[in-house]
Amino acid sequence: MGKLRHLDIGTGGGVSVNWFISGIRKRIKTEKLDQYQVMYPSILEGVSDYKCPTEALRNGNWDMDKCIFCRQCDLKPTGKQETYSVQHLVPDIFKKSLYLYPVDSGTCGACNVEFTSLFSPQYDSSRFKIFMANTPRHADALVVMGVHTDGMERVLQEAYDAMPEPKIVIGLGACALSGGIIGREAMEKYDIHIAGCPPTPASILNAIIEARDKR
Amino acid sequence: MKYYKFGDKTGRYIGRTEKYDIYTSTITGIGKDEDDHEERTQGEIYFNYGPSAGGLRESVNFRLLTPGESIRDVIINSGFKRRNVKITGDSISDAMLKVERINGFHSASHSIAYALAVEDALNVENGDLNDARIVEIELERIRSNIDVIKGLCESAGFAVPEKQLLLLREEVARIISSAFGHRYYFSVNGINSIDGDFSRISLSSIEKQFRSIYNGLLSSKIFLDRLQENGILLNPVSSGPAARAANFRYDARLDSESLIYGKYSTVMETSGDTFSRFLVRAEEIFESINIIESYDIKKSYRKHRMELNGTGEGTARIESPAGDLFYYVNINEGRLIDIQMCSPSYLNMRNFRYGLKSGNIFTDFFFVWESFGIWISELEVGFQ
Repeated sequence: MGKLRHLDIGTGGGVSVNWFISGIRKRIKTEKLDQYQVMYPSILEGVSDYKCPTEALRNGNWDMDKCIFCRQCDLKPTGKQETYSVQHLVPDIFKKSLYLYPVDSGTCGACNVEFTSLFSPQYDSSRFKIFMANTPRHADALVVMGVHTDGMERVLQEAYDAMPEPKIVIGLGACALSGGIIGREAMEKYDIHIAGCPPTPASILNAIIEARDKR
Repeated sequence: MKYYKFGDKTGRYIGRTEKYDIYTSTITGIGKDEDDHEERTQGEIYFNYGPSAGGLRESVNFRLLTPGESIRDVIINSGFKRRNVKITGDSISDAMLKVERINGFHSASHSIAYALAVEDALNVENGDLNDARIVEIELERIRSNIDVIKGLCESAGFAVPEKQLLLLREEVARIISSAFGHRYYFSVNGINSIDGDFSRISLSSIEKQFRSIYNGLLSSKIFLDRLQENGILLNPVSSGPAARAANFRYDARLDSESLIYGKYSTVMETSGDTFSRFLVRAEEIFESINIIESYDIKKSYRKHRMELNGTGEGTARIESPAGDLFYYVNINEGRLIDIQMCSPSYLNMRNFRYGLKSGNIFTDFFFVWESFGIWISELEVGFQ
């Protein structure tokens, strides 16, 4: 490497920042999950006869898994970050720690970003003993995002097969659950459905916590 | 079509749609691409990485040609997650729901570029929304650039600034949500309409926090050493921050009439390495804040669904956070009969490869990859 450029820029003036001290000085930024409210997506209430393009409204019933929260219908948002449903309870063993392995089957990128936000200081998933795995071999839960795509079908199956037992599958976002407005669902069955387009980090954490602690 | 015509190539190359090559003011047929991949020689292997692996946010596969440490070439297969979106035949308003999900992280750019192309096709007067749309795109650029720099910190193992930037990215998402009702601008933009309260945008805290992190990174010899002379790209066929980092003054804010920007400074660097791309991305955060503050919009806009039954062809080109984003639409009685999109990820992906094979080793890979800010979602999308 040659001579380092730009060392004289900024208040650092060439003196390295102690990142450890810098981190401590900023103090705790972690929040309670209900501290920050989002209206879209959140639980919707009311009635609407809108002809929904994703068929999330049928015979007056709202199907949150199909909803892309496009604000076209008359349903009103409540702000409740509980856009999820638990299909199967999570094995007890995951109460101590749960490692997530995300697979992008065919996303627009928004679910991917919201998933990474779980590890931001505001949400800090590690306080709930929820971590990310870098390989399906070390994962407890497969997090599927995006619509079905031909190219990712085999990859998704191989990732699932590579995981040790017991294991669970989480469908994250309208595309994975129902295809949303873009295509068809990535997998047929999930243990946890987390609706939203994209689901908020709080909704994702609330879903996993409920599935794990329901017993 | 006010700004484009079909014909011979003129100006700089913007990129490729499914059917056309795009230049600054003309649309041409697709030219020939020569496959210039390096031949594998004795003792070299292809190291396979992806499409699904830790460290990759989206699904993409790399086959790195290597004799052991250095990277001689890379074969990229980004097609695993290719989405085929049924959109032709949709009304121009229904199509918006799909367009804004082509790249969710740059949804404002995509939805505004599409709306501008439709308005061009149907001769809709849209001057009143020019400034507000610029503010949306610049706010999106701030978040996107923070995300790219976060990725560089992650690659360097700088956990504290990485987390501080994640915090900042979330704070910008909350500002967007507060002003526009959605963290990713979904259902915000329409044909000649916006839904948002611009008085809720306040960036002074973001600027202060980012300045502190940026100065810290600039004072770190370790961080600078990892970025400098890494992934050098000095290719005139480039776009966005990657071009400006190599001293090419390419910017749709300067040479496109789809959105008319007022006075602003283009951020330029000269070395074309990962460090230059980092500097451009960082300095553009401050410039975007300046642009937003210079408009000082305190208005609230209400969205109205506009169904138009007109017929025509239209185009738009804007500067998305990663570079030129182009849309072409052909509309018949209010319905799309053709839509073509050229994203900056097309040129950035090509240039990532050129940058990576310019004398880099395995540990440089993530720095080069993160510095281009490529989104597979906008690269691998087909319209049906």
